[in-house]
Amino acid sequence: MDVLANRTLFVFLLTAIGLIALPHSNHLPSPLVIFFFIILIWRFIGIWYQRWLPGKILLYALTFTGLALLYQQHLGWLGRDPGTSLFMTALSLKLMEVKRQRDIYLIAYLAFIVAASQFLYEQSMFMAAYIVFVCSVLLAAMVMINSRHANIKASLKKAMTILMQALPLTLIIFVFFPRVEAPRWLLFEDPNRAMTGLKDSMEPGSISDLGLSDELAFRVKFTGTIPPVASLYWRGPVFSYTDGKRWTQGRHQGSGMTPSVSEFNGDVYRYTLLMEPQDKPWVYALDMPSEFSDELFQNADYQMLTRKAPDKRSEYQLTSSLLYNTGQLQEDEWVKNTQMPGAASPKIRRLIADLQSGTLSTEQFVGNIMRHFREERFSYTLRPPLMENNPVETFLFETRTGFCSHYAAAFVYLMRAANVPARVVTGYQGGTLNEVGGFLEIRQADAHAWAEVWIKGRGWVRYDPTAAVAPERIDQTSYFQQQFGYELAQLVPRRNLQGSFEWLKTTRELWRSLDYSWQRWVINYHSANQLKFLASLGISGLNKMIYWLIAGIAVFTAVLSGYLFRQRQKPKDKALQLYARFCKKMAATGLVIRAGEGPQDYAGRIKSVSPELAGPVDRITGLFIRYRYGKKPSGKDLSLLKAAISELRIKKGYSVKGKSRSHF
Amino acid sequence: MHTLINQLLSRADQIILGKSLQVRLAVCCLFCKGHLLIEDIPGVGKTTLAHTLAILMGMNYQRIQFTSDLLPSDIIGASIFDVDNHTFKFHPGPIFNQMVLADEINRSTPKSQSALLEAMEEQQVTVEGKTYPLPTPFFVIATQNPSHQLGTFPLPESQLDRFLMRIELGYPDHQAERELLKGLSRRSLIEKLTAHMSAEQLSVIQQKVIDVHVSDALLDYLQGIIAYTRISPDYAAGLSPRAGIALLHAAKAWAYMTNRDAVLPEDVQAVLPSVAGHRLKSGSHDSHAIVAPILENVPVF
Repeated sequence: MDVLANRTLFVFLLTAIGLIALPHSNHLPSPLVIFFFIILIWRFIGIWYQRWLPGKILLYALTFTGLALLYQQHLGWLGRDPGTSLFMTALSLKLMEVKRQRDIYLIAYLAFIVAASQFLYEQSMFMAAYIVFVCSVLLAAMVMINSRHANIKASLKKAMTILMQALPLTLIIFVFFPRVEAPRWLLFEDPNRAMTGLKDSMEPGSISDLGLSDELAFRVKFTGTIPPVASLYWRGPVFSYTDGKRWTQGRHQGSGMTPSVSEFNGDVYRYTLLMEPQDKPWVYALDMPSEFSDELFQNADYQMLTRKAPDKRSEYQLTSSLLYNTGQLQEDEWVKNTQMPGAASPKIRRLIADLQSGTLSTEQFVGNIMRHFREERFSYTLRPPLMENNPVETFLFETRTGFCSHYAAAFVYLMRAANVPARVVTGYQGGTLNEVGGFLEIRQADAHAWAEVWIKGRGWVRYDPTAAVAPERIDQTSYFQQQFGYELAQLVPRRNLQGSFEWLKTTRELWRSLDYSWQRWVINYHSANQLKFLASLGISGLNKMIYWLIAGIAVFTAVLSGYLFRQRQKPKDKALQLYARFCKKMAATGLVIRAGEGPQDYAGRIKSVSPELAGPVDRITGLFIRYRYGKKPSGKDLSLLKAAISELRIKKGYSVKGKSRSHF
Repeated sequence: MHTLINQLLSRADQIILGKSLQVRLAVCCLFCKGHLLIEDIPGVGKTTLAHTLAILMGMNYQRIQFTSDLLPSDIIGASIFDVDNHTFKFHPGPIFNQMVLADEINRSTPKSQSALLEAMEEQQVTVEGKTYPLPTPFFVIATQNPSHQLGTFPLPESQLDRFLMRIELGYPDHQAERELLKGLSRRSLIEKLTAHMSAEQLSVIQQKVIDVHVSDALLDYLQGIIAYTRISPDYAAGLSPRAGIALLHAAKAWAYMTNRDAVLPEDVQAVLPSVAGHRLKSGSHDSHAIVAPILENVPVF
């Protein structure tokens, strides 16, 4: 069958290539993607209208156009994006130049490279499944080339079998192949890639629309019970300095001071925290962490920081207690946390005086402020009006609407105005429990800001003014989810809402649980984790790893090939083995038995060329036929056959071919 | 018995010159109780072959010339009112003969074709609810013109399958042609022919053919051939199980004719073109070209 004229094969191959390139349209410049698909479609049409395919000159022009486009889009050749684009362009141009079967192989290999390059951009489980799927389609195309078979279904099945057979080897290589961490400059990462997360400053008045992103921030898996949702405060950056509008971290930052917590009380919670990539070294520990792994350290504000590169997914072990006492406040800390942008206005002083009247303790004062928020028609919104000038005063006396940052900032301002040390803490609050995987997911939408007040004898105490205004923001699972549910309620008929929503929720949780395992066990299996994992199996060091890798591959190959050989080798009958010896002897004369040649025909051919061999050849052939095809094969015939074949001597240097040539 | 067969074959070779392979195949077909289809242009000796075989085998022989207005009753016979007995009496048609030559079968309408082919398959004829068995041995040689000729109703594949073998006679070679031109007319030679075999002897041979031994090793090869035709893209459809049985029977008969009590791969290969040629759909119409890839690619061992 002429492979090059096989339309089914081409349709199949081109479809596979189209599928492979499809996800690249997400991250490569669209002119290049359009160029690729134009050529692909052109080639598609060319299957039926050969003469519409470009000639040599046009092909040169196309190549030049493609490369020019590439350079113009990427302004260079090196790096991840130009490299991927180069492969795509090369693949599309090679499609136009299929002259031999070899070209099809080349195209298939190029397509495999393009498929693999997807992982430079996205490593999700979905993408992995997709790549496996398109690779199997591509493999099926190669099966079609080789099996002289145009049956798509059979080819796909074969390709799947091949992939399945490759699976054990893949696992061995995945586990044991030494991970090499590429130097950062080799990663060709796009430096402009923005990673969302908390910021290192807070300016509530300048935000009028807080975007809620469903993007994952981190995941937490508790080893024991999960604390109540209302007490899940994941501590992030602490803001102690304000200029009236903007809140930033204090000047004495970093590890200059070792924080001290005088005592921990109550239940101890152990958990594993899997941080998503971010651009800051912040690790959001549950308030208040008591033990943590070595790669972490705590700054003076009790915030956890990591020594690892934060732009990679990483896992940490922590222990936290919900009840704690931070003890005494240092002098400089006191100053830092009572800092004011200027003297408070008379209006605010009057309010403070109002709220402070008759109180004996700081706690009572805080309680009054909370009541003030609750009773004076303050409301919670994600779309507050802008408060450009004097935001605290505007918020407290005019707009009275805002989200957590407004409340936290105003609350701390009021405390400081009353000369009580207070500060704003940002981080995340709550989380969604994934019931399938048993872990909490904390999303960007769970970002929160609250306040801490230093109280004598109790240390830093957390107060969440937002809870006074919108308790559901804190108590319930995720405010975002409520909003999401609310929107859904308007779209879906009320009757079905409960059921379908539950179903949707379960599916989502199942998926996220799978994704968690994928991230944790597959993507996060980098060199450190690999060494750790293998060390737990008793395999330490790179040498041992390589030995295991080689041994694993060798054992697997041996087992598989042994199985295949056993399958291939039918219980060979002895006569056939003897006859094979005969054929081998005769082959030395230049007469090789053909695949479809029977023993008699072969004997006839030998005799016609060298009649002097007629005697032994006839005898051997006769005995063989009688034993193999006869009615009652006897062992005697077999031993006779053996003897006859052993006796058969072909003189060295004897060549039937040479001899027959001498006849002419 | 084998001297008898050899005498018969050499006698036939004297009548049909230079076609000894085709004659052998035709006899082989007869020995394994199959029907034969000869496909060739007019005048190459199809009728002569059929007639010669019939006389040599001692069978009574009838020729039916198929035309476009031939009716089924012209083949199988009809009930005719008998005035003396006041009953309908069945007058058997030409098919009630041991050897029937259906000449130019593809010139008649499908209706008449199927009347013949049904009789071939069932070995009996049913007219007006009454079943009449056909004589034994019963052997049909059908000839057909190449289907690209005008005025033909090509036999569908399902009916081609009823014929165990299809052979082509082809032009005689130079030597044979010369002898043919120099010698007496074939008609007069046939008239002088005498039977070399009786119906009883034929049925003994047919029984002995059945008893020819088939080893597992040979069945491996046979199944290899069948499997190849089913997966190879050279053929639109592979050999059916019935075709496989036909191939085995023909190979047995061939082995018997070469005086062997066991089938060899060479026997299968010898009958393969004529048994499989008309059952496989391929670009070519030449039986040998059709099966060439099988002979080349299917390993014997």
